Amino acid sequence: MSSVTGELAGRPTPLGSLAALRRAWLGIDKNPAAIAFTATPVGTAVIIAAFLIALGASLKVSLPTLALTAVTLAAIAIVPARRIAIICGASIFFFVMRPFRISGWQTLTDQLAPALSAVPAAAVLPAVALSFLAIAFAVLAAMCRWPQSAAARRPVLSLILGWFGVLAAAMWAPPGTPTHALLWILTGVSISSLWYLAYAAIDLKGKAQMPVAARASFMRPFWGGSAIPIGKSFGYLSKFDARNEDELATTRLKGLKLAVWAAILSGLLFAAETVLYEAGPLVPLHDAVLAHAGERSLGTGLNWAIVVTNYFLDLVTIAVWGHVIVATVRMCGWRIPRNTVNPLASRTLAEFWNRYFFYFKELLVDLFFYPAFLRYFKGHTKLRIAFATFCAAGLGNFLYHFMRETYVFATADILDVIWIFQSAIFYTAVLAAGLIVSQWRGRKAKPEDGFFAYHVWPRLNVMAFFCFLKIFDDISGEGTLLERAAFTASLFGG
Amino acid sequence: MSTIRQAVVDILVERGEDPSIDPGEALFTSGRLDSLAAVQIMLVLERDFGIDLAEADFDISRLDTLNDLEQLVSA
Repeated sequence: MSSVTGELAGRPTPLGSLAALRRAWLGIDKNPAAIAFTATPVGTAVIIAAFLIALGASLKVSLPTLALTAVTLAAIAIVPARRIAIICGASIFFFVMRPFRISGWQTLTDQLAPALSAVPAAAVLPAVALSFLAIAFAVLAAMCRWPQSAAARRPVLSLILGWFGVLAAAMWAPPGTPTHALLWILTGVSISSLWYLAYAAIDLKGKAQMPVAARASFMRPFWGGSAIPIGKSFGYLSKFDARNEDELATTRLKGLKLAVWAAILSGLLFAAETVLYEAGPLVPLHDAVLAHAGERSLGTGLNWAIVVTNYFLDLVTIAVWGHVIVATVRMCGWRIPRNTVNPLASRTLAEFWNRYFFYFKELLVDLFFYPAFLRYFKGHTKLRIAFATFCAAGLGNFLYHFMRETYVFATADILDVIWIFQSAIFYTAVLAAGLIVSQWRGRKAKPEDGFFAYHVWPRLNVMAFFCFLKIFDDISGEGTLLERAAFTASLFGG
Repeated sequence: MSTIRQAVVDILVERGEDPSIDPGEALFTSGRLDSLAAVQIMLVLERDFGIDLAEADFDISRLDTLNDLEQLVSA
């Protein structure tokens, strides 16, 4: 008897053909013929062209960035021996053209540029970006030259303190002066690349040999993204480097597959948002919180739907964003892990954090968790893990967001705007507490506990925790902590 | 005292992973083991081998493979 998706009287059904096509596509990076074709010059050109189409279809890349990606990938394919130099060149160009993505810093730069009347407005940002690259080079060169210095031994702490020093100078500089404008723009440019610089500094101690100039040019790679270093550093990338032509072809096929998946997810996301938010009765979570605070609540039922919908749409949004970047890195020949890998499969909060936003979790673990874990409370294992987790998920997480948003202090008194971080403090504290408890819990569900206890209940717990936590994931200053708490309480009739 | 290889195999088994392990295979940077597993390895290195990794901004990628770990233990 044939199945619906199988063959009927020897002829494939449409569903059977689709299923076979899907299987062939998913297995393309293991298909010897596809790998052999991709390794040829024509195959490489076809794969790059298909990749660029998928990247464009994902709607996550601007046209100039798409053009830069096309030129860079083509150059790497033509002169593979100069790959690092090509990527460094493309990254410097990208960094100078677009040193940060946060609209708040861009708005601030536009406001401050008139104070620098001696420099054409369009040249201000590129000039500051190039200055930052020179500073990054000097910092890394000094750490190489004096490896026993305090800054080289504690690079992350030194860089954070140095950045706060620049911020303090910017805040004390008289407003309206060129010094004030320059220091604030430098603060914005440097926070957008500080974590890349931190990884580059740590990388100096690693095995991968790389000229300091190359490391210093990797402050914002051409594949874009936020201030979170996807791909971390050249040392990290080198661990995933394709070792021969076949591996390179396989890696590129994996990059293409991921880009296509990102485009599909992006289409689904667009359709879901259109149906739910534009044609349907739902609104984004942030709007629902503000509506409730303004005594225009949409009702308990709709608010529940909004909270749950926000959770799923957020997962897809992060997945598309990360897939596009990881796919581009793979097209360059580094088979790095994905940023998001099936987060719904998570049975613990720690596992979810690992699956949901891998490179942000890595940043917090590498730069905050390990240093704390290796230094403090060595005689008390539970306290040691708890403190290190707090340093990463609580302190490090808050610092990352606080430092990124400090442009708010440029045009307002610190006491007038500091309150906007109240939800972020609560969010990071609850997240840290949840992760600590998650790690302390000795017994975890096992398959022999039964389907519900192993597959369903732990996943529902994880989902519920992050659904509610997302209500407090805000740094806009709109909607106070109390208003968000009241919204949460209203879901339970409070 | 266990060998560092046995400690890694124990962690892989505990997590339901295939315990076969290539000496040069990336354990942490590949995502095969997570940061909690890294913590377990560090505790074994401290407790069983007396190795103090208390270097600020320590990079876990320097303990990424069984070869790395065995080199550290035998140093």
